[in-house]
Amino acid sequence: MTETVTPASQQREDPPSGGRLPAIPGPIETARRLWRALRRMSTALLLLFALAAAAVVATVVPQAPVTAQSVEQWRTGEAGPGPTAASVIDALGLFDVFGSWWFGLLVVLLFVSLTGCLVPRYRAFLRVARRPPAPGRNLGRLSNTRTFATDVPPAEVLGAAQRVLGRRRFRVRCIDADGAQQVAAERGHLREGGSLVFHTAFYVLLAGAIIGKVYGFTGQVSLPEGGSFADTRIAYDAADAGRGWELDDHRGFVVTLDEFDVSYFDDLTPREFVSRVTISEQGAPVRTADIRVNHPLRHDGMVLYQLAFGMAPHVVVRAGDRVLYDDRVLLSPNDDQNLWSGTAKVKFDDPERQIALDLVLAPDARLDSEGQPTIGPDPRPNNPVLIGNVYFGALGLQRPIPASQFERGSGPVDTAMLRPGGNAALVEGNLSVEFVDLAYWSGLQVSHAPGRLLLLLGAGLILAGLLPSLYSYRRRVWVDVQPEGTGSRVTVAGVALQRKGVFTDEFDDIATAVDREVRS
Amino acid sequence: MANEALAQSSNTWFNVALLAYIVAMVAYFFRLAFTRVSADGVIAGTAVGRRVGMFGTAVAVVGVGAHTASVVMRGLAAGRVPWANMYEYSSLLALVAVVVGLVVVQQRMGYGHLVGFVLATAVLSMTIGLLLYTPAGPVVPALNSYWIKIHTSAAMASSSIFMVAFVATALYLVKDAAERRVAERSAASFDGSTVGAAHVGGPATTEQRPEGYEADTELDTRVASPLAQREALSPVWFPVVPGLVVVVFVLAVWRAPVAAIIAGSVAALLGTAAWYAVPYLPPAAKLDNLAYRTIAFAFPIWTFAVMAGAIWAEEAWGRYWGWDPKETGSFFTWVLYASYLHARSTHGWRGRRAAWVAVVAFVALMITYYAVNLWIVGLHSYAKA
Ligand code: HEM
Repeated sequence: MTETVTPASQQREDPPSGGRLPAIPGPIETARRLWRALRRMSTALLLLFALAAAAVVATVVPQAPVTAQSVEQWRTGEAGPGPTAASVIDALGLFDVFGSWWFGLLVVLLFVSLTGCLVPRYRAFLRVARRPPAPGRNLGRLSNTRTFATDVPPAEVLGAAQRVLGRRRFRVRCIDADGAQQVAAERGHLREGGSLVFHTAFYVLLAGAIIGKVYGFTGQVSLPEGGSFADTRIAYDAADAGRGWELDDHRGFVVTLDEFDVSYFDDLTPREFVSRVTISEQGAPVRTADIRVNHPLRHDGMVLYQLAFGMAPHVVVRAGDRVLYDDRVLLSPNDDQNLWSGTAKVKFDDPERQIALDLVLAPDARLDSEGQPTIGPDPRPNNPVLIGNVYFGALGLQRPIPASQFERGSGPVDTAMLRPGGNAALVEGNLSVEFVDLAYWSGLQVSHAPGRLLLLLGAGLILAGLLPSLYSYRRRVWVDVQPEGTGSRVTVAGVALQRKGVFTDEFDDIATAVDREVRS
Repeated sequence: MANEALAQSSNTWFNVALLAYIVAMVAYFFRLAFTRVSADGVIAGTAVGRRVGMFGTAVAVVGVGAHTASVVMRGLAAGRVPWANMYEYSSLLALVAVVVGLVVVQQRMGYGHLVGFVLATAVLSMTIGLLLYTPAGPVVPALNSYWIKIHTSAAMASSSIFMVAFVATALYLVKDAAERRVAERSAASFDGSTVGAAHVGGPATTEQRPEGYEADTELDTRVASPLAQREALSPVWFPVVPGLVVVVFVLAVWRAPVAAIIAGSVAALLGTAAWYAVPYLPPAAKLDNLAYRTIAFAFPIWTFAVMAGAIWAEEAWGRYWGWDPKETGSFFTWVLYASYLHARSTHGWRGRRAAWVAVVAFVALMITYYAVNLWIVGLHSYAKA
């Protein structure tokens, strides 16, 4: 790429700092040099390498927004290169490469460089693309030439050449200068045009990404069958709202999980899971729909995705006649066993006298002769057993951390094993636990992603620009006609800037077609 | 179950295809060895070489037929598209690469004697596939979308073409080194001219050259003996480097010393074949152009694959891009191939440097393809199941 000096930078040739030569370049001079450097193709290349390097690091080092657990393990030294190395990684911000300041700087530099490249390229393109095909000289010296004589007069030859080249979608111009008569034709501006579209599309992508980040919202919610939530900020277990997302941007519709269904293949891996939901607005149901993986539900600008599911046993805990707890507990799958586990915060008003229930559900539990459960492989809850461990004392349940992380210090005070409908008296009859019935819970994500259409548009432009920029090629063809007796002497000549091998074939076709058109 | 029988025959046809590719590969290398280069650089096959080469083509075509049957049966047995786990990816990667090698490289471009190297990469890919074998079965719900069919088929097609491009790039680097060394030597011994230096910027980039630039095709005719190219290169590095790379890779992933030694020996043999083949390879400029055309062909498909992946992620997980390791991997692969396309039109980067960028990009592709699935935790890691 050659450096094109733009008028803007020419104006800045004279810094207004006076006549003396400064030993150290002043801020304006520095900025100018930086701008020039950023416009070089080799700088763009280095920036792209830097982008690739950042992405490599982000693949090898676990990233906090994606795999927070691995990051913790690296920090404590359980995994990875050890705590010392982890602290260095931390200091460099490598646990969150794409959120780090230097990655932001890299993106900014890339876009400055892109702008610096595109402005002169657009100017040159507009100039070149508007220019009519130039007359050709010294045609005999070009890489592709063919000459033939015919008894057809020059004017007709020129007409034939124009028709042939016009049919092949060349831009054609007839030149009649110094006795030489010539048809000059050009094609393939699409290559540079496509490349410009391709590079410009990155601004569209950037705009889409920024709009999505600023005005977007993503929230996760888990609800048991029969449960419902309203689309308001407080309803979500976890939420990620952009800076431009206001509280009253929430739509306020109410989603009720009527039913959750999961089906399995013969090898007991899940085939499909579906949430049947009813959406109500202002108290009246407006639609009923299914949400499944890969089939999100769109409603009023929000999109509802099926994310996760689990078991939700209905548990009632009583102290004498007093009901301490009466709710569905959401249990999550264990990674390596066919078990579901979770925690119920039963009583936590008095920090010293709290009660918690650790629950484990085995969906396929067979009891052996001694009454001990063995865990079968079937994930369907056809034969479930719920085991509850009761904890009592200062458990720290009031702290703002997930319930499952309470302090188990001295271990459980008692254990219950229940079938659905079962009831057990615990802690010498002071407490009773009832397993009323079993249902599913469903984990949904609710998103508002406003930049999506722009991103789609950007992606489309990238493809639409990329193809011609790689496959199209600029070439010029001239048909020069000299009168020879009553007929003419015809020279067809051509040259291509790219894809010369392909052009050689095309040129042969064109020359043959001109020859044939002249004869007919 | 009828499915079991289908899955069984799919495996049988897979083995038939693998065997056919190995036989065809040997035949193609034989053809390469029975090529003669005359003093003016014209390459011609001997009668024996041509006949064996034709036999190799026939066997490779039979292999493609068997391989296609294997893939189709696999799909029928599993009741879904036959590209949903690492074994199936590796198998299809090889199939598409061989088809591209036969149809594009041999038929359309006329570089038939390079097909042996393409077959070799296919054999390596299928061997890796065998190490990652998974019985035919259905997929988890997240993979059950038509976008994944679009996404994975585009990713696979482009990866196969990148694989062919890698063969061309690697051979280009070898051939170019040989040409330059011979040119330097003859320049030093004849008249001390700077033929070698002129060649550095060389005919590598016929594509983007400004108008009126004339290629110095005379260079090859100055080469006293084409076999000097082979003598100009040390025969030690050629088997050692690929052999070591493959041994380390197999040991690191599967801790299987026997498999590592076998795969390493194949790679070492390939390296030796490349060294032996140097005089019979097309000129460096042609190889460079072949590499460029194949990469330019695959790049938009890869771009589309990444986009389709984002659309699918948006449907399945509710976000189009989350810098998951697999996403990050396909992104840096994309950036590196884009860098290659840039490097080819950047002053000072054309030729060898750009080719090295393409090599790095291919390594990135392999990391994204295998290492991310096997080692790195992320949403995509179920692909190994
Ligand atoms: C945002 C990052 C960028 C990416 C992903 C990218 C990608 C590409 C790709 C894939 C091509 C080859 C296809 C084509 O010809 O259109 C290309 C060509 C080109 N790029 Fe970029 N580019 C980026 C930024 C830049 C920047 C900052 C510059 C300015 C120095 C630049 C200048 C060019 C030029 C001049 C070409 C045409 C080369 C030719 O046709 O021979 N690009 N780019």
